[in-house]
Amino acid sequence: MMKGSLSQRIYLFTLSCCLLLVLLLGSVLWSYQALELSFVRDDYAKKLDNHTNSLKQLVMSDNIYASHYSVSNWQVLQQKLTRLLNSAPRLTPKLQTIQNSIHSQNETLKWVFIQISQNKLKNASEAIKKHLKARLMMQLEAIRSDSLLLSAIAHDDIYNTIKNEALFITSVIGVSILALLIGAFSLTNVVRKSLDEVKYAFKKNHSGHFEKIKLSHQSQEFDSIVKAFNAMNEKLSETTVSLAVMKEVVAERTHILEQLSNTDPLTKIANRRALFERASMEFSRAIRSKNKLTLLLLDCDFFKKVNDEFGHLFGDELLIHICNICGQEIREIDFLARYGGEEFIIVLPNCDIKGGIETANRIQHSLAVHCLGVQGKEVCVTLSIGVCMLSEQHKNLEQLINDTDKAMYQAKQNGRNRIEVLTPPNLH
Amino acid sequence: MNKKILSFSVLLFAIFFGAVELYFYAQSLWQPQKYVVTIAVSKTPLSTPFYVAKAIGSFDDTCVSVEFDEVIGGQRAFAKVMRGEVDFGTSSDSVIAFQSLAHKAFVTHAVFVQSDNDVKFFSRPKANVTSAADLKGKRVGVTKGTASEYFLSTLLALEGLTTDDVKLQYFKPEELIDGFIYNEIDAFIPWEPYAFQSIKLLGDQVKIHNTKNVNTLSFNLISQTADNLLVNKAKCILEGLSTAIDYIASHPNESKKIVIKELQLSPDLIDWVWPDYIFKLGLNQSLILSIKSQAIWAVSTKMTSHTEVPNAEHYIDSRAMLKVSPGAVNIPL
Repeated sequence: MMKGSLSQRIYLFTLSCCLLLVLLLGSVLWSYQALELSFVRDDYAKKLDNHTNSLKQLVMSDNIYASHYSVSNWQVLQQKLTRLLNSAPRLTPKLQTIQNSIHSQNETLKWVFIQISQNKLKNASEAIKKHLKARLMMQLEAIRSDSLLLSAIAHDDIYNTIKNEALFITSVIGVSILALLIGAFSLTNVVRKSLDEVKYAFKKNHSGHFEKIKLSHQSQEFDSIVKAFNAMNEKLSETTVSLAVMKEVVAERTHILEQLSNTDPLTKIANRRALFERASMEFSRAIRSKNKLTLLLLDCDFFKKVNDEFGHLFGDELLIHICNICGQEIREIDFLARYGGEEFIIVLPNCDIKGGIETANRIQHSLAVHCLGVQGKEVCVTLSIGVCMLSEQHKNLEQLINDTDKAMYQAKQNGRNRIEVLTPPNLH
Repeated sequence: MNKKILSFSVLLFAIFFGAVELYFYAQSLWQPQKYVVTIAVSKTPLSTPFYVAKAIGSFDDTCVSVEFDEVIGGQRAFAKVMRGEVDFGTSSDSVIAFQSLAHKAFVTHAVFVQSDNDVKFFSRPKANVTSAADLKGKRVGVTKGTASEYFLSTLLALEGLTTDDVKLQYFKPEELIDGFIYNEIDAFIPWEPYAFQSIKLLGDQVKIHNTKNVNTLSFNLISQTADNLLVNKAKCILEGLSTAIDYIASHPNESKKIVIKELQLSPDLIDWVWPDYIFKLGLNQSLILSIKSQAIWAVSTKMTSHTEVPNAEHYIDSRAMLKVSPGAVNIPL
């Protein structure tokens, strides 16, 4: 990718345009010279033709063998022709060949005329006289033809020079226009894209996303802007917290607090507050949908005694153990919570008395099997469980909990480690 | 953006080269049919344009593929053309003039070289010949019906003599020297390269007379009376010759080397004749006048048995030349 300043590019572009123009100017000058030379050659050829024609007329107008014939006219014209031949303009090799031909013809012409004029023909026959006159005409004709050829070539040269120059000018202009278009397009594209990228970064900045600008086209001018912007952006991103991040932090903290407020710190199960919240919900739902709802109230037997014997830390461990056992034996939809010191409540939605007793049995059985070890002893605890199902008599949650509590007391009174159900007549 | 420009340029180049390729392909399809033509070329440096054309391949781009049949003298080339053994031949204007008297069915397509000093006049020093006038009663060797015979007759005529005043003996061009060596003749009129060879061979046993400008000899491309096909072939030959003649004008040294190699001549010979030669294509009124005047001369000096001088224009066919180089054609219609 090209890296440089935009102004450099513009200078380079202007320079190339100037170069093309100089090239154009040079070619025009060269063509002018070539044309001028061709015109000079054509002029020279025409003069040759004229001189030769004059000589021809001279031969035809008079009898060159007549005694009164004056050779001076011929000699003047002949000398002029020779002088003209010696003043030929600069010629190409091809034209030089023709020039050589004319020279040679002219020499022969001179020779023939000398034969005619030097009175050497006094013994000669009429035939040779006629023949020499014909030779004279032939030589003149040859010179004239060569002059015409010279002129024709000069004309061709003029035509070709003009044609080539026109072609050259057209192609240079075509290339210039193409370069101009590409240059202009590329420049505006760089500026437009870079501006868009800067604008986009500003927008992002506005909405709190501190992104660095990455230019797709490098240019010194925009690079400096981008450098300044990116430096500013970095500082801003260090000191500013976005709203979204803040919301996220708050939500996270709130969630933790909520969890803390609903959880029993020791057993990590729901506390009394959470119990009432959940139980009220399940109560209302059961009333509304006429579903069954059963509560279990579990109380650890002789907990105080265990505490005293093995210490509070073991008591705490025991409570956690009970919670684990309960957690394993209940369904997904059931809800276990710590009700008080060593009392727990399990909410069993969509569950009748029978189901409640089954759950209670499972818990008691599991607890009997899994005892806790302490100081090399196996400590097994039991639970007194009260079971009560929601009935029409229950007007609120408190009444239901109360009845469950009553059932638990019955279990205590009837000898502990047992399950008692509060039958309808005994309901409050 | 730059990638776009790059791909655009690549595409442009691809299109351009594709077009060029297509052009050459189309051109190869349109390449005119190649005709094989045989040309009876006179084995003299005058035929330089033919040898150069072949050497630099200037016939390659034309419609003809040229084969040379090398002969000695334009007269034999002419005979071969008339017998139909070759398609074209090279002959001097003198041969054309003599043959026009016999009303042969041939045409001249172009002049490709001229020289004002090709035919030369040699005599035995002992014979004391200082000018043509001294030839009276002497034995003179010439080649019948060629520039050699014409040259002698004009030389004699200028001194008020005719060929009847000398003992004329006819030789083939390459046998003139032998005639001189065997003392069959006192003087002879050879052309190049035999003139140069005579000087080399005979040294001061031969005297050379300055006859520059006495006769301007031209060499011409001739064929039998041409139909359109033959004119087309002539056109192609002339195109090749035109290229070769331009090459000779711009590269004289290279051209000399080609002729030296092709004709196996000594460089001295080429340097000897070269200044007198002017290679250029043309078809002018001067050729008609030359043929006509030589024919009239031949009749009036009884060099030929024919008495009627034909119309020289009938032996000129300008169609091919008009297609190749109209500027070099100068014949009034």
